[in-house]
Amino acid sequence: MIVFADFYRDHRDRLLAYLLRMTGDYELSCDLMQESFTRCLERYGCKGLKPSLLFTVARNAVYDHGRHCQVRHRSGRKLCQVPGNPEEHHLLREEYQRVLTAMQQLEPDEKDLLSLAATSIYSYREIAQQVGISEANVKVKVHRARMKLKKLLEEGKHHG
Amino acid sequence: MDEIISMFIDNELSIDDKMALVKRLKVDPEFFSETLALLEQDKLLRAEGLYPAPLLAVKAPGAVPGRLQGFLKDFFRPLVGPVGVMAVVVMVVLGVVLAHRPGPPAGVCPSRLVVYQPEAREVAVAGAFTGWEAVSMHAAGSSGYWEIRLDIPRGEHRFVYIADGHRRFADPTILTREQDDFGGENSILIVGQAI
Repeated sequence: MIVFADFYRDHRDRLLAYLLRMTGDYELSCDLMQESFTRCLERYGCKGLKPSLLFTVARNAVYDHGRHCQVRHRSGRKLCQVPGNPEEHHLLREEYQRVLTAMQQLEPDEKDLLSLAATSIYSYREIAQQVGISEANVKVKVHRARMKLKKLLEEGKHHG
Repeated sequence: MDEIISMFIDNELSIDDKMALVKRLKVDPEFFSETLALLEQDKLLRAEGLYPAPLLAVKAPGAVPGRLQGFLKDFFRPLVGPVGVMAVVVMVVLGVVLAHRPGPPAGVCPSRLVVYQPEAREVAVAGAFTGWEAVSMHAAGSSGYWEIRLDIPRGEHRFVYIADGHRRFADPTILTREQDDFGGENSILIVGQAI
């Protein structure tokens, strides 16, 4: 269990950040994070634990959940309701929340690609293999998603 | 489009590409501003640790008796393949809830138990921390998750989930278990000692 404990400590924050980008929902991200670590441990055991497998499992968990619950279309659940000291990192959190909110306005494939790229776990080639498009296409779409996110954030600032 | 900026951010550039990028940054102020803006955006996008990761309840290494370790190995070996047959993914989240709640008594951890049971009509938890009374969990919308928040004293606790009033099952995410007096299994939860 030492191996699993280390693996969990090393990757929990990065995985949670990935899931927040994908769902924009803190509690759901926590649930999916637990589920991902659990599935990884069950499927691959302590000796087979790899970050790339963990993130693949997490990505599948997001899509499984989306299929069952239509997470993208539900309403009434506020983004990122988190416990914690409200004064702590307040401004940074506000900015971060703006980014997460804007992420949810991207098209699903744009959000998927940009979230994967931002994990720093996968190369473009590996992302291409995972989502089933060419590496050149990943290059174009990741940048397009980044530019669209920037535009959304700028529009948000003007309207805010 | 200037995909080269994203390739730079995502560490996809060759050394020649990097040289070309630096040269362009020097002569093109607009390109420089856009690159910097996207870097700042990505710094936020990649931020980690702004939100607390949930604690995962796993027995501390070395704390499991040898006989129990052998039992656990035997238990998990058949789970590796046909775990999907169980049709459940069970999770325990021990989240420290600091906001919106009055402070708990000393030595007590506000905890959140979550279990995925999409087929169940009702789910309860019973354990040492409930006096072995079955306490109903709440359905988290239509997600299939059931959850409950409890103030659990620090220390070691046995507990079990009960679906539909009769189906008792331990939590597979907690590797420490022991057989109960009725031929079933209880999970052993260590509160205040999580990874």
